[in-house]
Amino acid sequence: MAAPRARTRRAFLRTGLAAGSLAGAPMVIPSSALGLDGAVPPSERIRVAGIGIGRRGEYDLGCFLQQPDVQFVAVCDVKEGRRSAVKGIVDKHHGTADCRTYRDFRELLDQKDVDAVLIATGPNWHGLMAMLAAKAGKDIYCEKPCTKNIAESLILRDTMRRCGTVFQAGTQRRNLPHYAFACELARTGRLGRVQRVFAHPGGMRAETSGWLAEEPAPDPAAADWDMYLGPAAWRPFHAQTLADGFNFEKGGGLVGGGVLEWGSHCVDLCQWAVNDGPPPVDYAPPVDGQLVCRYANGAELIFREKDWIPLGSCPVRFEGETGWVEAGDSGKLVLSSPELMAGRKVEEIGGYPATFHVRDFLDCCRTRGKPKGNADAACNAHIACHAANVALFLGRPVRLDTETWRFVNDAEAGRLRSESLREPWRLGS
Amino acid sequence: MKAKGRLVSCGRHAVRAAIVPLLVALVCDAAINARAEGPAVAPQEQALLAVLRSETPESEKAITCKRLAIQGSPAAVGDLAALLANERLASWARIALEAIPGPEADAALRKAAETLSGRLLVGTINSIGVRRDTAAVGLLEGRLADGDADVAVAAAAALGSIGTPEAAAILVRSLAAGSPDREAVALASVVAAERLLAAGRRDEALAAFDAVWRADVSEQRRAEAARGAILARGEAGIPLLVELVKAPSKRLFNMGLSTARELGAGTGRDAGLAEKVDLALLGAIAAGSSAATGAGRAALVIDVLADRNAGGAGKAVQAALVDAASAGPAANRLAAIRGLGRVGDAAVVPRLLVFAAEPEPTVAAAAIDAVVVLPGAAVDREITSRLATADAKALPALIGLVGRRRIPAVAEIVPLAGHGDAAVRQAAIRALGATVDAGQLDVLVRLAANPRDDAEADVATAALAEAAVRMADRDACAGKIAAAIDAGSPRKNALLAIVGEVGGPRALAAVAAAARSGDPALADVATRLLGKWMTPDAADVLLALATSDAAGSYRGRTLKGYIRIARQFVMPEAERAAMCRKALAAAGDAADRKAVIEILVRYPHAETLAVAKEAVAAPGIEAEAKAAVAAIEAKLAGAAKP
Repeated sequence: MAAPRARTRRAFLRTGLAAGSLAGAPMVIPSSALGLDGAVPPSERIRVAGIGIGRRGEYDLGCFLQQPDVQFVAVCDVKEGRRSAVKGIVDKHHGTADCRTYRDFRELLDQKDVDAVLIATGPNWHGLMAMLAAKAGKDIYCEKPCTKNIAESLILRDTMRRCGTVFQAGTQRRNLPHYAFACELARTGRLGRVQRVFAHPGGMRAETSGWLAEEPAPDPAAADWDMYLGPAAWRPFHAQTLADGFNFEKGGGLVGGGVLEWGSHCVDLCQWAVNDGPPPVDYAPPVDGQLVCRYANGAELIFREKDWIPLGSCPVRFEGETGWVEAGDSGKLVLSSPELMAGRKVEEIGGYPATFHVRDFLDCCRTRGKPKGNADAACNAHIACHAANVALFLGRPVRLDTETWRFVNDAEAGRLRSESLREPWRLGS
Repeated sequence: MKAKGRLVSCGRHAVRAAIVPLLVALVCDAAINARAEGPAVAPQEQALLAVLRSETPESEKAITCKRLAIQGSPAAVGDLAALLANERLASWARIALEAIPGPEADAALRKAAETLSGRLLVGTINSIGVRRDTAAVGLLEGRLADGDADVAVAAAAALGSIGTPEAAAILVRSLAAGSPDREAVALASVVAAERLLAAGRRDEALAAFDAVWRADVSEQRRAEAARGAILARGEAGIPLLVELVKAPSKRLFNMGLSTARELGAGTGRDAGLAEKVDLALLGAIAAGSSAATGAGRAALVIDVLADRNAGGAGKAVQAALVDAASAGPAANRLAAIRGLGRVGDAAVVPRLLVFAAEPEPTVAAAAIDAVVVLPGAAVDREITSRLATADAKALPALIGLVGRRRIPAVAEIVPLAGHGDAAVRQAAIRALGATVDAGQLDVLVRLAANPRDDAEADVATAALAEAAVRMADRDACAGKIAAAIDAGSPRKNALLAIVGEVGGPRALAAVAAAARSGDPALADVATRLLGKWMTPDAADVLLALATSDAAGSYRGRTLKGYIRIARQFVMPEAERAAMCRKALAAAGDAADRKAVIEILVRYPHAETLAVAKEAVAAPGIEAEAKAAVAAIEAKLAGAAKP
C-alpha cells in the first residue's frame, strides 16, 4: 500500500474546518439587513475582506465601510492585535459580531463568500498577494507600491488579465477631479504637444532592508514572523522590522524605495497625461536634483524634489508647447492661462481622499470594467519607477526596451530587473 | 558576533542595515563595473566569495549574496549552491543564482533539486522555473508525482514558466491522467499556453488551452483557459465567447465580459474582427433579454459594447443601442442610453431628446447626460436648430444642453431670458452663465443687477458668478459689475460678492470703496471679502480701514484680515516685520496682539526679533513677547549652527 502523500496545510483545510471561520449567528438583525433606510440588501452587497490592515489600511477600510453596497466579512493579519482591532471596527459598523479573522491569508482566499480583497500589508507582500488573490478569483484593491521590480510588474499585469480580475492600485489620484482635469488638458492637446511631465519622487535614495540582530521570536499566534517575512529573504526576528511594514522590502532588491514612495502616485498621473502609453525608454541618474527619463517620442518624465508651486504633496506638472498645468494634493490647480479652464468648474478636493477610488473599484466589480488604477496602468507606472531606481542605484544611464522589457545591451541593469522570492513563494503560478 | 547596526536615513524613514565593510560600496558605489564574462574572477567578486567561505556572521553572508546578484559570475555558483541546503541562507543564495547568467547556475540548481526536500526543494524548483531551464524539463516531469504535494505543485509551475512545447505537453498529459494537483497543473498549462502563443506556436497553445477548458478543474481555471483560447483563435473564438456570455455561471459570465473587452479591441484593433464580436454580443443581448440569465446581465453586455466602441460605433451597434434604449427592462434602457452617449453621434440626438422628455427622472437624466458628452459640432447644431420651434415644456432641457455643452449660442438664448415661462427664463440665464464671453458679459450683468423676481435673482447671480470667474481680463469684468453697483442696483450686495470672487486690482478698489461707502450692509460684505482676500495688496486697504475713524464695528475684522496677510503670504521679512509693527500699534485688544506675536515666532528673522523685543512693552502681552524673543533667538541660533 502506497504511503499517503504528505498533505500540506492547505489540503487539510479543504477537508476540515478552517480555524477562525466559525461565525456565530448575529444576536440582532440590523435594519440594514432588511434593506430599510435606503440600504442595499445583504444579498446584493459586495463581500470584501481585508489583509494586513494597519494604519493606512484602516483609512482604506473606512472608505469601504462608507459604501452602502459593501459587506466587510473578514480580516487577516499576522498580528493578533490587528486582527482583533479591525474586527472590532467592522463589527461595530455592521452592528454584528460576524467579521471572521484569519492569520493565514490563504485561508481567507479559500473562502467562497469573499468577492474582493483589500490588500494593505506593506510593499513586501502587495504584488505576490494580489496575484494569489486573483488566482483565487477575487477582485483586488491593492495599496501601493504594488510591485518590487520590473518583472513583478509584468507578471502582475499578465495575472490580472488572465484571471479576469478587477484590480485597483491604491493610487487614488486619478479619481480626483483636479488631477483628472490636469491630465485631460495634457492628453487632449490643450497644452500643445506634451514636452515634459514632472513627478515628485518623495525621496531619491535606493536602500535595502537589512538583517538585524536576532531577538526572541514571539508566539506565531501573536505575531507570525514567517508569514510576515513572506517572500522576503530569510532573516531572524527583530521587533523593529516587524513594526516597520511600511518600509520593509519596499521596492525589494538592491533598489528598494527610491522614487517609488511618491513616484508611484505622481508617475501614474504623468503616465495618464501621456495617454497611458509605454513608460520611458531612457533613464539617467540625478543631476542637480533631477532624474530625467525620456519617452520614445522625445517627451521627458522628470523626477524632481524642488521648485514646485506649493500645492501640497504628490505634485505633478505637465508642460506642452503652448501651456502648462501644475496640481497637488491641496486640490488646487495652477494653469499657464485661465483660458485653459474654458469655463469648466473643477471641484477642488484636497487631502487625496480614497473614497472616489474605492467607489470606482466597486462599480467595476459589478460591470467588470477597468477601474482607473487598473493593472495595465499600474504596471507601466511602476516599471517607470523601477527603471528610474535602477539608473539611480547604478549611477549611470540605462535604456529599457518597452517591447521586450529588457535593458538594452546592459547585463548589469538586467540583473536588477527581478529578484528571487523566498521559498515556498513564487510569482505567476 | 552580533551584526552592527547603522542608521540609513531616508527622508522620513530610517532603516537599520547590517554593516559589512563591502556594504559601504553597496550604497555609495557609483561606478560598479560591468561584469566581465571572461575566465578571470574580478577582485571584487573574489572578495565577496571570500566572505562566503569564511566564518563571518550569516548576516554578512546574506548581504554578500545580494551583492553577488550583480557582481557574481559563474565562478560564484559553487559557493552559492552550497548554501541551497542552508535554511537561513538558501533564499539569499537564490537571489544571486537566479541572476547570474549561464549554464553553470542552471546545472547547480538541477543538481540541488536531486537531493533537497521540503521547502528548500520547492525554492530550488521555483528558481529553475524563473530561469526557464529547458534542460530541467525531465527532472520536473519526475517531480510531478512527488510525494510532497508542494513539490509537485512547484514542478508544475516551473514547467508552465518554461513553457516549451515539451513542457506544455507534459502538463496536458498530467491533466488528462487525473493529477491529484490538477488545479496547479491546469494553471501551469494556461501559463505554458500563453508562453507558446507569445512564441508564435498557436496550435500548441490552443491544445493546452482547450485541454484545461475541458478538464475537471475549477471554474476559475476553466475561465482562464477559455479566455486564452478565445484570444488565440480570434474570430474563431467568438462562439466560445458567446458561450461564456450566456453561461449561467457568474464566474464564466464575468470572464466573458472581460474577454469581450479584449477581443478585437484597443489600439491597433482589427476592424473586421471587432465588428463580428460586436454583432455576436448584440445577439447575446437579444438572447439575454428573454433568457433566464436576466436583464441585469444584458445591461452589463451593453456596457461592454459601449466600452468597445467608445468614440464612435458602427451603424448596427448604434441601431441596436437605440432599440435597447427605447424599450425593455429599465436596467437595459439606462445602460443603452449611457452607451449611446459614448458611441453615438448627431444622428442619435433626436431619440435621446425623446427620452429626455420622459416622465421617469432617471431615464430623462441619463438621456440628457448622454447628449452632453456626444462629440462634435453637428450635435450642437442639432440642439440649437430646435430652439426656435420647441415649446415651453421642451425648451428648458434644450437650453440646459446649450449651457452644459457650452455651445456659443448667446444670440439665440438671450431672447429666451425674457420668455413668458419662468422655467425657460431661468434655464436661459443659467446657460448664459456658461457661455457668454467678455464681450457679452453686459447681458448677464443687467440680468443680475435688475432681476425680475427673487427666484430669478438667485439664478442670475449664480450665472454671473460662473461667467465672471472665467473672464481673462479680470479688471474689465470687475469694472462692469462695479458700475452696476454704483448705478444703484438693488442686488449690490450679491454683485459685490461676485466682484470679490473675480479679484484683481480693480475688484480690490471696488470692494475698498464699498467698505468705506457708509452703507452698512455693503460694508459688511466688503469687509468680509477683504478679510479673505487672496493677494497681499489688500493689506494697505485693510490697515487703513482698521485705523480709520469710520471703522466702527469692522475694526476688529479688518485688522484680523491685515494680520492674516502678514501670516500667510510670502514676502520679504522686513516687510512682514513692518506689517507686524503696524498691527501691534493698531491692535485694540490683547488677542490681536498675541496673534501678531505668533507670526513673529513663525518667521524667525532679525527683523521679526526686533519687533518682538519692542512688543515686550506693549500692554497685555509682555509674557508672550518675552517668550517670542526667546523662541526666535533660539531658532536663529539653531539655524546658524554648521
